[in-house]
Amino acid sequence: MTVGAARLRVDAPGKVTGATHYPSDLKPTDALAAKVVFSDKPHARMLAMDLSEAEAVPGVVAIFTAADVPVNEYGLTMFDQPAMVGVGGTGRSDVPSDVSRWEADQVAIVVAETEAVAHDAAERIAIEWEDLPVLADIDAALDSSTLIHPENGQESNVYTHLKIRKGDVAAGWEAADVVIEGTYRVPHQEHAYLQPEAAVSYVDEEGRVTVEIAGQWAHEDQEQIAHALDLPSDQVRVIYPAIGGAFGGREDMSLQIVMALASWKLHARGEHRPLRTVWSREESIVGHHKRHRGVIHTRWGATKDGKIMVVEADGYLDAGAYNYTTNKVLGNMHLCVGGPYEIPNARIDSRAVYTNTVPGGAFRGFGAPQGGFAAESQMNKLAATLDVDPLELRLLNCVKEGSIGITQTMMPEGVSLPTVLERCREEAGWGEPSQAPPFTPFQSVPPAESAIRSGRGVACSYKNVGFSFGFPEKCEAKIELDGRDDIESVKLFYAGADVGQGGHTAWSQMAAEAVGVDPDRVEGVFSDTASSGDSGSASASRLTWMSGNAILGAAEEAQKAWLDGDRPAIGQFRFVPPPTDPLDPDTGYAVPNFAYGYVAEAVDVAVDIETGHIQVSDVVCAVDVGRAINPNLVEGQIEGAVVQAYGYVVTENLRVEEGRILNPRFSTYLIPGILDIPDRVHNVVVEVPDPRGPWGARGMAEMPLIPLAPAIVGALHDATGVWFDEFPLTPGRVLAKLREAGAS
Amino acid sequence: MHEVQQRGAAIVRYETPGSLESAMRLLAEAGPRARLVAGGTDLLLELQRGVRPDVDTLIDITRIPGLGDITESDSVINLGPLVTHNQALASDLIVDRALPLAQSAWEVGSPQLRNRATIAGNLVTASPANDTISALHALQAVVTVVSVRGERTIPLVDLYHGVRRSAIEADEILTAITFRGLEDRERGIFVKLGLRRAQAISVVHVSIVLGFDGALVATARIALGSVAPTIIDAPAATDYLVGRTLSDDVITEAGRIAAGEPTPIDDLRATARYRTDLIEVLVQRGLRALRDRTERSRWPVRPPLLTTVHGRPDAGAAVGDLTHSDTDLIHATINGKAISAPNGASKTLLDWLRDDADGASSGSLTGTKEGCAEGECGACTVYLDGAAVMSCLVPAAQAHGSVVTTVEGLANGSLHPIQDAFVDQGAVQCGFCIPGFLMSGAKLLEEIPNPTPDQTRQGMAGNLCRCTGYYKIIAAVDQAAAVLTDGGVR
Repeated sequence: MTVGAARLRVDAPGKVTGATHYPSDLKPTDALAAKVVFSDKPHARMLAMDLSEAEAVPGVVAIFTAADVPVNEYGLTMFDQPAMVGVGGTGRSDVPSDVSRWEADQVAIVVAETEAVAHDAAERIAIEWEDLPVLADIDAALDSSTLIHPENGQESNVYTHLKIRKGDVAAGWEAADVVIEGTYRVPHQEHAYLQPEAAVSYVDEEGRVTVEIAGQWAHEDQEQIAHALDLPSDQVRVIYPAIGGAFGGREDMSLQIVMALASWKLHARGEHRPLRTVWSREESIVGHHKRHRGVIHTRWGATKDGKIMVVEADGYLDAGAYNYTTNKVLGNMHLCVGGPYEIPNARIDSRAVYTNTVPGGAFRGFGAPQGGFAAESQMNKLAATLDVDPLELRLLNCVKEGSIGITQTMMPEGVSLPTVLERCREEAGWGEPSQAPPFTPFQSVPPAESAIRSGRGVACSYKNVGFSFGFPEKCEAKIELDGRDDIESVKLFYAGADVGQGGHTAWSQMAAEAVGVDPDRVEGVFSDTASSGDSGSASASRLTWMSGNAILGAAEEAQKAWLDGDRPAIGQFRFVPPPTDPLDPDTGYAVPNFAYGYVAEAVDVAVDIETGHIQVSDVVCAVDVGRAINPNLVEGQIEGAVVQAYGYVVTENLRVEEGRILNPRFSTYLIPGILDIPDRVHNVVVEVPDPRGPWGARGMAEMPLIPLAPAIVGALHDATGVWFDEFPLTPGRVLAKLREAGAS
Repeated sequence: MHEVQQRGAAIVRYETPGSLESAMRLLAEAGPRARLVAGGTDLLLELQRGVRPDVDTLIDITRIPGLGDITESDSVINLGPLVTHNQALASDLIVDRALPLAQSAWEVGSPQLRNRATIAGNLVTASPANDTISALHALQAVVTVVSVRGERTIPLVDLYHGVRRSAIEADEILTAITFRGLEDRERGIFVKLGLRRAQAISVVHVSIVLGFDGALVATARIALGSVAPTIIDAPAATDYLVGRTLSDDVITEAGRIAAGEPTPIDDLRATARYRTDLIEVLVQRGLRALRDRTERSRWPVRPPLLTTVHGRPDAGAAVGDLTHSDTDLIHATINGKAISAPNGASKTLLDWLRDDADGASSGSLTGTKEGCAEGECGACTVYLDGAAVMSCLVPAAQAHGSVVTTVEGLANGSLHPIQDAFVDQGAVQCGFCIPGFLMSGAKLLEEIPNPTPDQTRQGMAGNLCRCTGYYKIIAAVDQAAAVLTDGGVR
């Protein structure tokens, strides 16, 4: 068996010797240096731009600006951002390009003989701006008459509004014995992948403008470049070398369009040398999107027996300057704000708001962590109010096989949340008192045991697998079998991005299993739009599920060709999953997704009530993966997601004021180090097959991130009697809240 | 230009004097265009961030013999200006007679940083958040500075005028830090609050030294860090303590008094209110530890240093004065091979390794990665003369005449057991941080073949990973340790 085996990663040997090349390691000997210039203006109109002094710097090859972009617009789901901000036309776009709406809008790409020259020239670009009011956060944008995108025809900075109207809300309140109400605030999160953005671009031997970069969806990068440059897609090529982490942060474009533009324009002028650019950590943090911050006001009604009767919620996400994937993230939050529960009556309104801050976008969990924090905190409060076990209460209310979901349609077959909750209960020894040991926040002094309180908390979630809301989901793979009588070699052509999750290894295992050979026989050709069809993105916990189905199809085709005597025998397959619907604009009625994964977490937390520090000693994470294609990779995703969530909840604290990020460094934006992590993460890999998943597999890589925040907050309440409706749980915030509540 | 896109100072001349006299002369001649460099961990950041835009010359004092020793005579302890944080915390003398200094050094940065950063440099940077300053303040240290104009001594309590402002003149070189070691009747402790357990700048820290007469407090010194423009005393609290025994009530009250003394400010790390609250807690817990004699209870038996060699191979050997501009070649032994390449004056060791040091035949040395360029993530970890260092914070010219090992040099024919272990355990995901982890891990095992779980984590505390959650990395170090100590592979 190769599927189900903890096979060693195929990419690890190159990575441990330093031989593997990431984009910044690509150094064509004759490369020119490119420098992308940020506007440095959270909100301002460009009145004039003078390049003469910059162009006169010796060694400058060219400077490209908005005026050079044929169709000056960008956007994954709606075109609302100019590829570059500038004067002198939008090309064939309707998006006004003369306004910088964010401090890192791009205004120019300078190409020069050396990095130093490119830098000198960039400093000499003279721009005249008219400052516009900076709408610094959701409240400012809701209150202001200034519109960040007046071109969209909306009357306010709210540009997407999703609704759910289910059952009879008034009747729900009538039937409710208890009311639980809260306002929950969730923070930005920076992806902090270790490899900052970098790219090499050139026109290849077949005349295709080519960008080598780290991304999550090569064909989408290709589409976006082709759109802005007004080229047919097959004249654009995107190649991913090794990718140094992504987590959603490479879903949108950073350098793709401008690097392609510069190479394409230079090529036309007879300049064929490749271009290279590398962002610093600071440029990366300022220059790419974040997990959305937001606020959710919600009120639940339940019977005294704990059955939820009604949910009302108003949620807002800070989209920042541009949509990126906000409308989709909002949709996911919308589905999660009532939790994975059977809710007979609901009114939910979710809105996305433009502001002059860094765009919000994709980040592991994609709206579920925000919605889930509100829902699971509500659930924990309901349990505390009724004095019942919070895990039991979840079992009572959670979706089961055949349940009608929040969008009034049946949950896709394979609902395993009850099993997941049971396994979590078992493995955590739920019901026993907390085992969190005393700790000291200070290295040099022993724990102050009298100041330590400990507690346990639990939370759960669901998360869609695959693109939602009617997006035309598909995934292509090609398999080539060669040999004489027996299959001697298998070539898998697949565009999917191995962002670190181990895709190359898992896809090779699935191809081997599908064909029936040893995985060593499989050679993968990955992540090049010139050799593979569209796989869709490495996101939405979709790639294992989608790739497996595509690989199964391609293998079947190849085997047919093999039996027909073809050598090599080629199978090409495009897998199309069951269709989904957009939400009905008035009621939210839809089949929004074709598959889900399920997760539950229990945590043990100790808190020092004199300092506000918390220490998570144990995290039990039960996640239904359907079938672990590679158990070692699955564990890696659980542990990594839990620690990333720990950073989100406890140590990370992005500070954004007046449209500017104040801490764009690893010394000021603190991701967890090896001394900060929970003492133990217990991986509970549940395998309830997804009826439509390849070998029963489900997507799983996002799920373990989602419940940690509400689980920790539940444990803190268990320890201190105080609820925290806002995080990160920095010591200062925790102590202030404990003091306010008289618990310190 | 956006602040994050602005460039720092461009260094055109890198001087490496062979004697203190040469260094003083060079510094006097260059004036404010020059800065001294030893460890360079603060200075390189200042240069990159445009804090010192006029500096174009660095004067490296690390080849001057005799400046890197910790000595004691007549109970007076003397630290040379090249003494690193790791040297201090590994010194039995410092741990025995100046525990607060050892504890403060231990909580600075990470092992790789502590191999480079000097105590003197920490004093010269003059930040109120600098941990060793408060320890030395409480130990009543005095610094000696020299210049072509002569020598003078300055008590630490008089050294600072404000944030990053000290009494040391531009032409002066700090040559010694001296203080009296604690006597048997004295006990001290350093307590720090950071927002992470390593690689964290102080939110607040406190150093306490008490002299006892039986159970009575006879003398008391408390220094508070990160709560004012300079390190400050807490005179009301110390006055209160003298003549009292450390009952619970006295400890509670002393903490309360100390918290009332400074007026801290809000910044990115914490609010003023939180700082005030925490001074109280830090002072109380520090005093309690001193009363209960538990101030040493958490001192590690053997703190990992990530170094196996102390000092340069050529340390002590008289070398003449050297000077490098970008056209001069840097000669170094990299992964066992003699390499000569230009551009060492203006670059960090990291950039020089990645851009210049490959030589024509061997291909680029791009295995060493840049994740932050500020010594936080450890992806650039290499060995410089036997010590693991953050190569993003080392001036390339400092590698002249040195031995450098990068991840490309870790395998010796076959993979190093730690490389095998990372593959076996699935400790590699995106892999970008992994070269740094391997360098730290291999050095840890060379230094401490059978590390305890705590030593493993402390040894890796200077490396950040965003994918794995670290658990499989820890398992991989354990596996490699087992293989190596079982008479294993290499």
